[in-house]
Amino acid sequence: KQKINLNRVEMPKQSEHERRHNFDEVALGYTWELAKEEASRCIQCKKRPCQQGCPVNIDIPDFIAALQREDVEEAARILKRKTSLPGVCGRVCPQELQCENACTLNKKGAPVAIGRLERFIADWERTQGAPTMPEMAPSTGKKVAVVGSGPSGLTVASDLAILGHQVVLFEALHVAGGVLMYGIPQFRLPKEIVQREVQYVQSLGVDLRLNTVIGINYSLDELLRTDYDAVYLAPGAGLPKFLGVPGENLNMVYSANEFLTRTNLMKAYRYPEYATPIKMGKKVAVIGGGNVAMDAARCAVRLGAQEVYVIYRRTRAEMPARLEEVENAEEEGIEFHFLCNPTAFLSDGRNNVAAMELIRMKLTEPDESGRRRPVPIPGSEYILDVDTVVVSLGTSPNPLIPSTTPDLNVTRWGTVVTDERGRTSKARVWAGGDIVSGGATVISAMGEGRIAAASMHEFLSNGQ
Amino acid sequence: MYSIVEHEVLAPRVHRLRVQAPVVAEKAKPGQFVILIIDEKGERVPFTISDWDSEAGTVDFVFIEVGKTTQQLATMQPGDQLLSFIGPLGRPAEVGQFGHVVSVLSGYGIAAMVPILKALKDNGNTLTTIVQAPDQDRLFGQKPLEELSDTLILALGTQGDGMMESTTVAMRKLLNQHPKRRIDRVIAMCSLCLMRVLSEMTRPYAIKTMVHLTPVMVDGTGMCGACRLSVGRTNRFACVHGPEFDGHEVDGWEVLMARRCTYADESILQQGFQCRGCSQW
Ligand SMILES: Cc1cc2nc3c(=O)[nH]c(=O)nc-3n(C[C@H](O)[C@H](O)[C@H](O)COP(=O)(O)OP(=O)(O)OC[C@H]3O[C@@H](n4cnc5c(N)ncnc54)[C@H](O)[C@@H]3O)c2cc1C
Ligand SMILES: Cc1cc2nc3c(=O)[nH]c(=O)nc-3n(C[C@H](O)[C@H](O)[C@H](O)COP(=O)(O)OP(=O)(O)OC[C@H]3O[C@@H](n4cnc5c(N)ncnc54)[C@H](O)[C@@H]3O)c2cc1C
Ligand code: SF4
Ligand code: SF4
Ligand code: FES
Ligand SMILES: [Mg+2]
Repeated sequence: KQKINLNRVEMPKQSEHERRHNFDEVALGYTWELAKEEASRCIQCKKRPCQQGCPVNIDIPDFIAALQREDVEEAARILKRKTSLPGVCGRVCPQELQCENACTLNKKGAPVAIGRLERFIADWERTQGAPTMPEMAPSTGKKVAVVGSGPSGLTVASDLAILGHQVVLFEALHVAGGVLMYGIPQFRLPKEIVQREVQYVQSLGVDLRLNTVIGINYSLDELLRTDYDAVYLAPGAGLPKFLGVPGENLNMVYSANEFLTRTNLMKAYRYPEYATPIKMGKKVAVIGGGNVAMDAARCAVRLGAQEVYVIYRRTRAEMPARLEEVENAEEEGIEFHFLCNPTAFLSDGRNNVAAMELIRMKLTEPDESGRRRPVPIPGSEYILDVDTVVVSLGTSPNPLIPSTTPDLNVTRWGTVVTDERGRTSKARVWAGGDIVSGGATVISAMGEGRIAAASMHEFLSNGQ
Repeated sequence: MYSIVEHEVLAPRVHRLRVQAPVVAEKAKPGQFVILIIDEKGERVPFTISDWDSEAGTVDFVFIEVGKTTQQLATMQPGDQLLSFIGPLGRPAEVGQFGHVVSVLSGYGIAAMVPILKALKDNGNTLTTIVQAPDQDRLFGQKPLEELSDTLILALGTQGDGMMESTTVAMRKLLNQHPKRRIDRVIAMCSLCLMRVLSEMTRPYAIKTMVHLTPVMVDGTGMCGACRLSVGRTNRFACVHGPEFDGHEVDGWEVLMARRCTYADESILQQGFQCRGCSQW
């Protein structure tokens, strides 16, 4: 009987000293030798718990078995059956909560590094050969509009194009990719990988129209009235949240969206070669505990900040960020301040932020749902000197399309209401991704797209 | 890509470009703006639409050379291409039958206000227009203003405080005649400082005063929050809820002006930009 190895193979990464000064990818990925070794740890469980832990139900034991047989091409084919973005998901999925959490080995030791293997396969395919082109169905003569080119929109566009429908993909920005381009930094997800996925989708015949805002250039009703038989809405949750405390508009208080858009999408880290500037102070406070906050804090380090603080009102255990990125942030010297929350931002007298007032928090006893709420401790206010603040509390659904489409049902949080197959309250309109969830993960945005695309295909084929 | 089809130099450092952008031209309304990117390494910069032709599919804007991007734009010729050109962004200016409307223009506002004035004229308003420019040489775009305005007042002065005075003096004279010669509305598209001063001048008379605000913008579609400002004690995004706002409701002008100057030291060429009392200098 095979002996189980409880230790996973480490993935090489840039040293923390080096990477504090560049925007190159931190994690360097497995070599073939390392990937083989890690794949060999999988014991091929009959019940496939890992697969059930994956939101898009990837055939994990099968692709790992292919790796064990040293057939990377076959592994890639298996992956592609369920995900069109393996190079992305392998890098950014919160695996510790999903597939790897469910892995049998997780009970006794370290789970199989499923994400790292996925990343290896995608990178191998990207560098070793032409991507495998799917078989294209003959044209159906039906035309579909997809609004938003993030992971959800890209998935629907490619699925429907493969099924023979003519797809036009509308994107408000000047590049496609959504948060993968404007939010997640280069050092975590190289933009070349995202653009390669976009080119692949275009190679399927999808007509990408950049610089086009639905709700401004065309209303949703106009799309339905003119050329299109059906529409998929995936405009994401791009509206930045603020704390609503005094002084939040002071100069040098950024929203994470502005900070990350300047840095990543507009490449301000290469100013002045790239024309977009970004002003950075010495003492930077990032407010929040999710992926967005980790990304902002780690960008600040690389942009030359001397001290970077993450301010989070709960504790490390409750932080929603991917574990790997929290560890990376700690290694990069970012200071975490837990159980505190800003109550005001203070000016230097010239309307630049100079300090913030914080209040200490404590967690309540768990309520019925088991959640412990953070509550302020009266009288515990204190001052922290900072000269730059990045408010990274997450985002709300983009209101533009709902506000220009009166008969589209939305919740009181502004998310679009759909049934389990992605249908909205409006005939011939589906939706998915962050505009429906209010903000979740790349893989769930993709998974919802998959389901909606199948439902749209049924409708386009037989009118139901 | 978006082709430049015309480039006209209107005055020293002042240019008009005409761009082929049918999707923008189709929906444009007075007071809206575009965001363009020159090339792959360019930044996103906003410009107010000064004219458009939905049949020819063209959009015009007038710009002043102040820094890196506008300087680069000034070198572009017909046939050259812009990487990106998004619009029409922002809410159109409020246009209705108000009565007597006084407008105050300076800089690119001299051209960018024209579509608004046309629409106001079509609605039967009486128009008094105050144009501010440093001197006769740097005045441009007078002709359409003469045609549209019932009264055209030129406030020419040298750079600095004197210049602002001549505009405020003209405004003061008009206000002194109110309500005998009633002013129903004021619209301003000029420097932030002047728009602030004008809003304070009209406040005691309760004359509705609309200002066209230009905080620093990045995406222009409500995603980044760079353009946020406080209006009526709520946070508004100028690119979505503006750029036209009721000047009497704008609070925190100081913060707005400071934010507007965050990057002023990067490449600014404009002489005399260092406004008195500005927090950034
Ligand atoms: C900084 C950051 C880090 C993150 N890190 C992770 C991570 O590590 N792992 C993870 O799984 N998830 C992460 N997420 C969340 C994840 O990125 C999102 O859940 C996912 O991108 C949602 O996909 P989407 O397709 O619904 O929307 P988006 O990716 O938001 O794409 C929407 C697209 O639609 C466009 N659009 C919007 N309105 C219009 C319109 N009216 N007309 C035309 N186009 C429009 C937008 O410009 C955008 O390109 C992160 C998010 C952020 C912001
Ligand atoms: C809604 C709106 C409409 C505008 N319309 C016009 C117009 O019709 N004609 C015109 O000449 N100018 C217009 N502007 C201002 C114009 O965008 C700036 O002059 C231009 O960005 C300067 O770029 P630069 O690189 O040449 O100069 P820089 O040296 O980069 O900047 C000079 C100054 O311009 C302003 N500025 C710089 N970047 C931006 C930005 N991304 N967004 C807003 N302001 C910025 C700042 O105040 C800065 O201090 C408008 C601005 C806004 C917000
Ligand atoms: S897509 Fe994400 S959750 Fe699914 S197997 Fe891959 S890494 Fe795990
Ligand atoms: S649960 Fe873990 S060990 Fe079992 S098949 Fe899945 S990856 Fe392999
Ligand atoms: S410019 Fe980004 S929200 Fe207005
Ligand atoms: Mg500039």
